[in-house]
Amino acid sequence: MSADGAPKFREDVLEAISNAPGVSGGEEAVRAILAGYARDKVDSLEVDPMGSLVARIAPRGNGSSKRGPHVMLCAHMDEVGLMVTAVEKEGRLRFRRVGGIDPRILPGQVFRVGAEGIRAVVGALPPHLLPRPEREKVTAPDDLYLDIGARSREEAEERVSVGSYAVFDTTYEAWGTTRKGKAFDDRAGCAVLASLIQRRPPLPVTAVWSVQEEVGLRGAAAAARRVQPDLAIVLEGTASGEAPGSPAEEQYPYMGRGPALTVQDRSLMVHARLLDVIEETAKRRRVPTQWKRPGVGGTDAGRIAISGSGVPSAVVSVVCRYIHAPAAYLDVRDTQRAVSLIWHTLDTLRKEWP
Amino acid sequence: MASNGDRTCADWLRTITSLPGVPGHEEATARELMKAFRTVADRVERDRMGSVYAWIEGTGKAPRPRALLAAHMDKIGFLVRAIEPGGFLRITEVGGFDSRTLPGKEVTVHSAPPMAAVFATRPPHLQKRGESDRPIPLEELYLDTGRPEREVRRKVPIGTMVTLRQTPVELLGDRLAAPGMDDRAGVVVLLRTLALLRVKRPAWDVVAVATVEEEFGMFCLGARTAAETLAPDLGIAIDVSHGDMPGTREGDTVPLGSGPALSIGGNIHPWILEDLQRSAKALSMPYRVEPCPMGSGTDAMDIQIASEGVPTAVMGIPCRYMHTGVETVEPRDVDRCAHLLAHYLSELAPEWRAVEVLK
Repeated sequence: MSADGAPKFREDVLEAISNAPGVSGGEEAVRAILAGYARDKVDSLEVDPMGSLVARIAPRGNGSSKRGPHVMLCAHMDEVGLMVTAVEKEGRLRFRRVGGIDPRILPGQVFRVGAEGIRAVVGALPPHLLPRPEREKVTAPDDLYLDIGARSREEAEERVSVGSYAVFDTTYEAWGTTRKGKAFDDRAGCAVLASLIQRRPPLPVTAVWSVQEEVGLRGAAAAARRVQPDLAIVLEGTASGEAPGSPAEEQYPYMGRGPALTVQDRSLMVHARLLDVIEETAKRRRVPTQWKRPGVGGTDAGRIAISGSGVPSAVVSVVCRYIHAPAAYLDVRDTQRAVSLIWHTLDTLRKEWP
Repeated sequence: MASNGDRTCADWLRTITSLPGVPGHEEATARELMKAFRTVADRVERDRMGSVYAWIEGTGKAPRPRALLAAHMDKIGFLVRAIEPGGFLRITEVGGFDSRTLPGKEVTVHSAPPMAAVFATRPPHLQKRGESDRPIPLEELYLDTGRPEREVRRKVPIGTMVTLRQTPVELLGDRLAAPGMDDRAGVVVLLRTLALLRVKRPAWDVVAVATVEEEFGMFCLGARTAAETLAPDLGIAIDVSHGDMPGTREGDTVPLGSGPALSIGGNIHPWILEDLQRSAKALSMPYRVEPCPMGSGTDAMDIQIASEGVPTAVMGIPCRYMHTGVETVEPRDVDRCAHLLAHYLSELAPEWRAVEVLK
């Protein structure tokens, strides 16, 4: 238990799932870790037809007749990455991107391909061999390939096949309160959610670790229909605005200054009263928060909100630097604050909602 | 109509591709398809959005699980946007054409009665120097019915459907080219599959749906509404896949004659894909795996997220020159898709479900 009565953030879970591969459509490894972790902490656990992990937890028995609203807490398991689209006769792997990846980060990068995680490099011609005008152009991803060192198609096909996914080859590390790893969008949210289910909540909760957020917010759409919650809070790893040279007013949100609250993004107007409840809880429990930049990005909450007759929805995010890139940073104080904020918000909701 | 057993895939393809049916205007096609489906299905009906459902009853104990097979019956075309002085027709497209494939093509304007027209072209003699270096955008193209303006204005209201008028072309190697193979070839797969299933009945109920409005809008309206109506336990979309063409790359296309293209990616439930591959091997049938990293772009996209989530797969018929008047397929591939589906469905265990209960 943390100092303020909320469950403790489980960094061990974050480390395990950050290191595991889970490109949209291939989330099995992440799901297996979370399912193994959750099994003895929840009342029911299932994998839905799309692959999302759905865990139901009844509230702690207090004999009170007021049960409180049924809350869906949701974080997506998938990350951006690559898919192998062809194995060429020279043993090279052609690929396409899954989710939004800046093509400029690809040359010179290292990936792990397939369930085995065999290493692949994205080669680039040495500058010596490139005419100067070529060096001023961004290489189109279609012209790049993954090199696993195979000498022939046959050799390559022993280890990978068309449809294999590739993830950034990044290992979780810690220094100070900073944590470095891949896929903090949204393994940070997944780990916050995992931390929350360590104790029985004050009201009925369904935890959903969703699939395919990065390819169109798809998994949460089906999961919300299955869960039919009274309200939803989505846990995200969102982008920090910090960058030298950016105007001062665009530098927020900041890593290390608490969970970011969303007012609006491209997928959703956050439910105003639900946001009020979260904000007031943060003030009362002295959890620092900040605002996420409005008008950019989109989350599963956009799909959950329009599910069925509608679900009041909000988004609470851990601010990360360099999401959708090989190595992201977060501040481990922020992940604990996110756990505390949601935990105390559940208490407020039980007392005050609707 | 010949009895169903006598009709070859090529026969069906010639008949079914010739039906009109721009998105939202599938009425006449649906009526013909209901007739065709009645020759192979236990029950045929239409839903409120216009999609046609053809049922094969399973042999399992009721209530039986339900498999949805979807192929879209709409095909890309045009609508009349304006009538110019002289009776020339301006059009807007429904679905995406490359306007470079249109000049000189014949079309049918679906007025009452229908009339033929051509995409007008300017003879080289009258062109300015360099004019032929620039493709003509759709907004500048126009149709000429060869009829007086007064008749055109009387018979062709704004919004009249226009489709390419191209009779099916027989090519070497039994290949067949026609507009609307996308996705009437898929509809033929449905017909052939049901014919096979009627003989070798599966445990599951199978409902083949010829969907409306796949080619229009941000989502596949007919597939989404059918999946909500039927709440199936699995869904398979049958659509065309890009065939091999010069200038394309391995991995982006599948060769004609190489059998069903089985999609892989987030839109596809891995267990169904595995079982389809197992069926293909059992039938000694060639197939390809087609990577779909960002979704399949078929009816399966909307079936998957309908209801409480539906496990889906996508089967592709290799097809060259998609979204032109000469979409080319090999009837053999169409037939293989049907045999593969029939085998997979008749092997499907009554208790198969994609939901895993872990606790």
